Amino acid sequence: MTRATAFNEREMQTITVARMIEDGKTYWVAGAGSPLYAILMGKKLYAPNAQYMTEDGVIAPEPMLPFDPIMSMVSARAGYRALGWATMNAAGNHAQIGLMDYGILNALQIDQYGNINSTAIGTYGEKMRRFGGPGGADSIASLCWRTIVMTDQEKRKFVGRVDFISSPGFLDGTPGAREKAGLPRGTGPWRLVTPWAMYDYNEERRLRLIAVAPWVTVDEVLAECECKPAVADKVETLEVPTDEELDMLRSQLDVAGQMSGIERSGWIIWDGERYVRSEG
Amino acid sequence: MATTPAHTEILDEGIGEFRQPDPDGYREWVRDHKSRALTSKLMTEQEAISRFVEDGDYLCYDCTYLQRGPSSLVRELIRQKRKDLWVAGKFTWVMVHLLIAGGCASKVDCGFFLYGKAIDRFVQEGRVQIFEYSNVVMTLRLQAGAMGLPFLPVRSFGGTDGFRHSGAKLIRDPYTGQPINIVPALNPDVALIHVQQADMYGNARVFGTGIAHQETAMASRKVVISAEEIVDTEEIRRDPGRTSIPYYSVDAVVHAPFGAYPGECAGYYASDPAGVIEVVVATLTDNLDPYLEKYVHSVANHQEMLEKHVGVAKLLEMQQRVATREGYRP
Repeated sequence: MTRATAFNEREMQTITVARMIEDGKTYWVAGAGSPLYAILMGKKLYAPNAQYMTEDGVIAPEPMLPFDPIMSMVSARAGYRALGWATMNAAGNHAQIGLMDYGILNALQIDQYGNINSTAIGTYGEKMRRFGGPGGADSIASLCWRTIVMTDQEKRKFVGRVDFISSPGFLDGTPGAREKAGLPRGTGPWRLVTPWAMYDYNEERRLRLIAVAPWVTVDEVLAECECKPAVADKVETLEVPTDEELDMLRSQLDVAGQMSGIERSGWIIWDGERYVRSEG
Repeated sequence: MATTPAHTEILDEGIGEFRQPDPDGYREWVRDHKSRALTSKLMTEQEAISRFVEDGDYLCYDCTYLQRGPSSLVRELIRQKRKDLWVAGKFTWVMVHLLIAGGCASKVDCGFFLYGKAIDRFVQEGRVQIFEYSNVVMTLRLQAGAMGLPFLPVRSFGGTDGFRHSGAKLIRDPYTGQPINIVPALNPDVALIHVQQADMYGNARVFGTGIAHQETAMASRKVVISAEEIVDTEEIRRDPGRTSIPYYSVDAVVHAPFGAYPGECAGYYASDPAGVIEVVVATLTDNLDPYLEKYVHSVANHQEMLEKHVGVAKLLEMQQRVATREGYRP
């Protein structure tokens, strides 16, 4: 496996999550975009016995590839070769009884306690930009044992308190806050992955930076956080993609270049000595 | 014997407006209005919408404009200019936008919809009020309605700002003593559900995954089914395990080939990518009026829309792109 010499940082983000997929575990995954790419790549390359479900109640499918860019939940391509076809309440109930080990989600905005906003930016009900609502994310973030969130490394997306909690993290961060709000014991945010970094949550249930990409420093990552996270004593360096991973992502998953298209910013190039980032 | 508190302890509650659950009222409606006899309910889309959708109704449809949604029925509803509907926006995509742009909807319970300039403007202008839920919370509200209950406990939704803007409550569970969220049952006035097959009485078959077609049918006062194919009742009796919705919850059956256009109906046709892009662009750029003029108001019905704006060649091509029939065509 050869380390790639040119890739987009969003490809790196998806590949990082794909490598985290644990064999033999169950995943409730958002029905589109990079969370779905991550579980499919993880299954194909590293964890063939990881299984996933989406909120329309498809159980352990093997969707038709290459990935159709307008494929969505309920479609024949997405439900191909599944072990079961059910409905949304079945999906919710399976997670509610504890069958789903991990959830994978995208977030529009996230805060220091891992709360997720996908409803509105600004002051709710007053001056705001309206977004689409939590969809299935609230159930994923409430009911899976561990939640993995993917978002951009942008200052305005890392805040002290999200404008609107659409899906719960550790709420106000106090001990037992989730249980006091009626959520199941022992669940919650587990990892946050951006194109530049990986975070876990410390004993105070606050975001903690644990790894950065080789082309950025810890300070550069912290500069892109409006609310500064905790920093681990030893910050690891994330591994760059391999050619095999990029080939899978580009030829089977992101075939329309929605993630890696040439017009996307954040290309990473090996200049002979190190990886450098170039805009566009 | 354990003692039960005289009053349930409410620890917290949302401020969102919601339809008051009325399980006994719903039972009486079902007693008085749901036909037990095997009588043909076949009718045109015009008749079904005209008879069963009224101004001010709470409307619930299943699936989306992209996948097996009742798209031809929704277009007919807009054509007939229904007003002031309250819409269950669970797992929806652009239908909410079409209904608001068409002047039909004024309230939405949000699970998920496509965002973009159109919905942003509708909210800013106060053309629509939005109450916050999640997809699963909405389908559990329907489940409560379908079970004849006033509410259901849920283990999600707690602690969110959605809870604050909803009809949910946090109570102390009288059995475990722990906090538990409850959500109010939803019994929509009218349901629109597109299925692959139905007989003339309303015995309906959904193939593939789904959102909440069964709960929606059982929870709703009036149920309109549209079907790709009308099958003989003998075919239903040949394989009763495949009946997703039983006849006695159904009020109207509309034969609607390509009823999910521009979306897909699994096993019957793939989606029309150009038609999908057209409605997405209209939604994202806040330019829905020309879309509605073309696909709704300039044509008399679904068939004329297919003839004028889609055409036989494209319909055949959509059928050809069905890559799999396993599980969809018994």
